[in-house]
Amino acid sequence: MRDLLIFFSYRGRLPSQLIGVAATVTLFYYVSRLVKTPEFPTPQDYFAFALIGIVVIRALALSFGGLVGTVRQELVAGTFERMATSPLGPIFGTAAMTLFPLTLSLFLGMATIGFAVVAFDVSLEWATVPLALPVALLAAMTLVPFSLMITAAVIAFKQAGAAVRLFTVIITVVSGFLFPVSLLPGSIRWASDVQPFTPVIELLRHLLIGTPLQGPVIITLIKVLAFVVVLLPLALYLLRASIEWGRRRATLIEY
Amino acid sequence: MPLRLRHDKAIDAQEREPPSASARRADQGLVLEGVSKNWVDQRRTALHEVGLAVGRGSTAAVVGANGSGKTTLLRVIVGMIRPDGGTVSLNGRDSARDGKRYRSKIGYLSAGNAGLFARLSVGRHLAYSASIALLSKDDAQQCIDRVLDAFALRDLASRRVDRLSLGQRQRVRTALAFLHEPELVLLDEPHNSLDEHGVLLLREAVGDLTARGGIALWCAPAHSDLEASFDRSFVMRAGRLEQL
Repeated sequence: MRDLLIFFSYRGRLPSQLIGVAATVTLFYYVSRLVKTPEFPTPQDYFAFALIGIVVIRALALSFGGLVGTVRQELVAGTFERMATSPLGPIFGTAAMTLFPLTLSLFLGMATIGFAVVAFDVSLEWATVPLALPVALLAAMTLVPFSLMITAAVIAFKQAGAAVRLFTVIITVVSGFLFPVSLLPGSIRWASDVQPFTPVIELLRHLLIGTPLQGPVIITLIKVLAFVVVLLPLALYLLRASIEWGRRRATLIEY
Repeated sequence: MPLRLRHDKAIDAQEREPPSASARRADQGLVLEGVSKNWVDQRRTALHEVGLAVGRGSTAAVVGANGSGKTTLLRVIVGMIRPDGGTVSLNGRDSARDGKRYRSKIGYLSAGNAGLFARLSVGRHLAYSASIALLSKDDAQQCIDRVLDAFALRDLASRRVDRLSLGQRQRVRTALAFLHEPELVLLDEPHNSLDEHGVLLLREAVGDLTARGGIALWCAPAHSDLEASFDRSFVMRAGRLEQL
């Protein structure tokens, strides 16, 4: 609620985000006109493929970059101290801070797809589109552990912007956000199997635009859930450790 | 009726112990025993075996030169800095072991004018602080109404804090420290930017706090800055706390 209020206190923020969405989709629409490959029979096929990638990239940027910015801002403004000394405490408080960027990502994702459908005639698999919402929520859950780990890094080292940008680019490449992972050289293709974003985006593409899955839906779902189950406790442990480290070194509220 | 955290019942069950021991510990007030903190990278001792006991319903002042360790002491008490040695407890609750319950009983006003969201209104700040204090909806509204009156903030409730004067912001910061009816309020140079009226409101709030059995620990660089009288006074000299 707090982050929502602050977000809307800047009146131009939402319109500028929506204009950004429209501009990005438009750019990719015209770039996709140049794509004629065996993987994509028509340019429109590539456009639909890349569209889902754009949604996830934006979600990553908002969740990771946005959170780094928010935590830094809170440390500088001294508001992190208020949360850290409250009964809610720094761990739950930080975890709560991941909610707004994820919610905004979901909203902007829907706006991105909606704009592409209306303006560029992207055809959706309407029969399975409703199922995409719970899958999107699950996808959001896969972002939470990474968001918490990034926050742990910011609390411990005070800077994580460059590392987060690098991480986002690497994930974009190895998860096949803008091109199929089958195009990756064998030496790095393994990286697409050891993180949750590849199955998440495959599932979203399958439900939204009908791209075939490499295996049964249930296996892909289990894969995603397994990543969440393993990574969430690890992320919470790292966050707790970084906060305790900050308390011992007296750097918890330094910036 | 005392305010209750939303999860008090679960915590109560965990903390169950013989009533006599519990009652004894609950009356102890603020107790620091052998609290030490070293800055390893600076090879300096920030707090040297600090011992302090402030009973319920009383006030204490800590004065000392800049850099003598007053703020570090408050940060250790509030749990932002983990001491290298020693213990801190409030009415029997240990700062390290009973984190959430301990923090729920402490209000903290840091030095300076930080800790506010520039674009949130005074009312939103109070609501946000009530939510992270885990107050129930009814208690939150009751507490917000109380501090709006106690710190003369009612007319400012809808104003964004970046549009307030420094003194008004300090009243907001002070109100946030008193909002959840804490048992201990830590005040680090609280008169910063306050006018006479603000100082008077602060004194009244401290009076109300001690009247209901609470404790106020007030830090300032010099006695001349204290603006009030205290039950106990201490001086901090290079990390050592001495009673005056």
